[in-house]
Amino acid sequence: MFGTVLALSAALSACGGNNETNNTGNTGGGTNTTDTTNQGGTNTTTPDTAAGDSYVAKALNGDYKGTKVTMFGPFTDADEQKFNASIKEFEDKTGIDIAYEGSKEFEATISVRVNGGNAPDIADFPQPGLLKGFVKDGKVIDVKSFLTDDYLKKQYNQSWLDMATMPGASGDVYAGVWARSSVKSLVWYNKKAFDEAGYKVPTTWDELMTLTDQIAKDGDPAWSIGIESGTATGWPATDWIEDIMLRTTTPENYDKWVSGELPFTDPVVKNAVKKMSDIWFNDDYVYGGRKSIATTSFGDAVKPLFDNPPKAWLHRQAGFITSFFPEGLSADSFDWFPLPPIDAQYGQPALISGDIYAMFNDRPEVRAVMEFFTTADSLKTWIQSGGVTAPMNGADPSWYANDQEKRMAEFLSSAKTIRFDGSDLMPGAVGAGSFWKGMTDYVSGTVDLDKAMEEIQAGWK
Amino acid sequence: MAKRRSKLKKSKWLVNAVLAVICLVWSIPTIGLLVSSFRPAADILQSGWWNVLPHREWQTVEQLTLPRDTDLREPIDVKGQTYTDDQLRAGVTVGDERYIWENRRARLLNVQEKHWGAITNFTTQNYEAVLGGKEYKIALPDGGTKTEKGSGMGQSFWNTMAVTVPATVIPILIASFAAYAFAWLRFPGRRSIFVIIIALLVVPIQVALIPILKDYTSLGLNGTYAGIWLAHAAFGLPLITYFMYNAISQLPKDLFESAFMDGATNFTIFSRLILPLTVPALASISIFQFLWVWNDYLVSLIFLGSQPEVQVMSMKIANLVGSRGNDWHLLTAAAFISMLTPLAVFFALQKYFVRGLLGGSVKG
Repeated sequence: MFGTVLALSAALSACGGNNETNNTGNTGGGTNTTDTTNQGGTNTTTPDTAAGDSYVAKALNGDYKGTKVTMFGPFTDADEQKFNASIKEFEDKTGIDIAYEGSKEFEATISVRVNGGNAPDIADFPQPGLLKGFVKDGKVIDVKSFLTDDYLKKQYNQSWLDMATMPGASGDVYAGVWARSSVKSLVWYNKKAFDEAGYKVPTTWDELMTLTDQIAKDGDPAWSIGIESGTATGWPATDWIEDIMLRTTTPENYDKWVSGELPFTDPVVKNAVKKMSDIWFNDDYVYGGRKSIATTSFGDAVKPLFDNPPKAWLHRQAGFITSFFPEGLSADSFDWFPLPPIDAQYGQPALISGDIYAMFNDRPEVRAVMEFFTTADSLKTWIQSGGVTAPMNGADPSWYANDQEKRMAEFLSSAKTIRFDGSDLMPGAVGAGSFWKGMTDYVSGTVDLDKAMEEIQAGWK
Repeated sequence: MAKRRSKLKKSKWLVNAVLAVICLVWSIPTIGLLVSSFRPAADILQSGWWNVLPHREWQTVEQLTLPRDTDLREPIDVKGQTYTDDQLRAGVTVGDERYIWENRRARLLNVQEKHWGAITNFTTQNYEAVLGGKEYKIALPDGGTKTEKGSGMGQSFWNTMAVTVPATVIPILIASFAAYAFAWLRFPGRRSIFVIIIALLVVPIQVALIPILKDYTSLGLNGTYAGIWLAHAAFGLPLITYFMYNAISQLPKDLFESAFMDGATNFTIFSRLILPLTVPALASISIFQFLWVWNDYLVSLIFLGSQPEVQVMSMKIANLVGSRGNDWHLLTAAAFISMLTPLAVFFALQKYFVRGLLGGSVKG
């Protein structure tokens, strides 16, 4: 049952060319209220992608002035600042107050709030698996009740729409709108030192292993790996497995694996874990050796790359890791390459994660805000300040803060296979439980491969 | 006689020594936290806090550059002796000297000797970030950066005060009235009601969260101070009532009889006799309740939320580490700042504390 929901269409059509249209189509009723605080030379006119009677148009018309929309989500801190900056213009123009509340305990709290009848108007879910439960209970408002199919198709590629469709209390529901995404299949490196040492970016797995060996010969461990993350220790290992799964088996098998049809004990999964162990368990390849992996914080693991001289050379992590880079690092001193293909027939897949905004209370102003979040404009200043990739169409490549992030967007749009982070889709007991724990046990050496896979698989029961 | 005294002295000495050891063991983590709170994040990753104490450590006195073409997989020649790569990675001691890689790639080897040393690199940055708010550098489209300042602890400190003081006073006041009634007034069902209240002590607060939240939603109490005062008062009442009952029921009966003779009402007895006589008990239960509410995370998380106008310090601190835990080093400083108020309360009331704790048990 999970499988049908999660199945993504493999092909994402390249969409870069059409990006301008959404920005220039400024024909809505909102232009008369154009903000005059024109910061940093950005164009602040609001594109009106939907028809004139859309909720966004009404909001820009001032119909919902003075109303308040509450939002609840897991991001805090710098991300919260960036979020508030990105909605400010919309708030000023419409008079709707979007009150965001960020909590580190989002995952635990959202269930209590929804069940206690105190649901926020909009909640930000980084794990669609968590949202699925609320959709099944009929707590979430179907986005299609106020946005048309045609409009959504214009805003998102089909894969995203498929990922947002979840089984509700009565039939499938379009559970929310994708607001942000992040590319995971990235290998980071210290560009300056890398170039000085004369290394070349590998384009195949074999080249990657050759490079790893070369670096070991030159006297350094190639990889810096850390999976410690408090109670979530082990998650970076699950990302590795997902990435390698996509490169060693068919997308269909990946979907089956995520939905529980393909057990962890299957040779296909074991093969992926073995591929990972080839690097992880070789003390010449890993900074600090295998024993340090489970005790190194994922955020600290990237730091040895930027020591002078570098203590390690490669680090596989999602785009957000730039926020853990040492301060004062200039944009030309680091870069990334996609984790290379292992088996040519599966090409160069992209593993992604994203945040989906779901709506719990149906009021016209909430509809307007939800519709606003389907537009690339709702993310514009955030993209410009770095750290996110737009899941919706219409984000201008020139918005991206630096070349690295622009390439992430291009990588995403050109990838033939795109899959969502599997552990975020699996039920919590596996995806945020036995999978993390099993991998940690395996890496720290307390159990062997077979035992670890059995342990993880037990989470499905 | 003299012999006995020396024995007494000896045992006192022993007690003090044991206490000193216990104190030391208990305060070491706190001291470590304090030291770490003044160290830069990068340093904390490199070395433990105890390195601030003077100690013998390896210090580099000389650097050797081995030939560029040295094969690391073969025995490596250093000053006429050969060592394996593993040895040089871990550091190999020869006489007073130790050889250890500085940079294997450049074949740079450190020759180290033991010297006295201590870390002296301290910073107040952590405290500045916690008190004054973190600074976020946000890149602008034109290539520049804008510095946004996050909110500091000020607002959440007052929020916590606004939660804690009433949430300490209200339940203690109600519980003292109740304790007096249970101890000295005769009314039907006195025993059974008291037993029910004591039984409530074992109800875990977690099971009450969702039902109460539902009621709060319909009453509009979510995210308000009134709501959280009520919640803390309710969760605190059973224990405080029990505690105050113990203290009040131990007071001599004659006192109340003579007061009654003189025509005092129950309220007069309570305010003129009970309150002054139970000050030690009141003080110690105040400390308990104050600490509990001050450090509370769960109840605030559920009933108050993290909107900036009501967010309490425990939640603010939890959020300080950032979305992905990248600012973990701020926790040390934040923990110390949040400890200050409870410490002040504790020291202000501590002379009553021990008396109050023993109050019920020793008299009798």
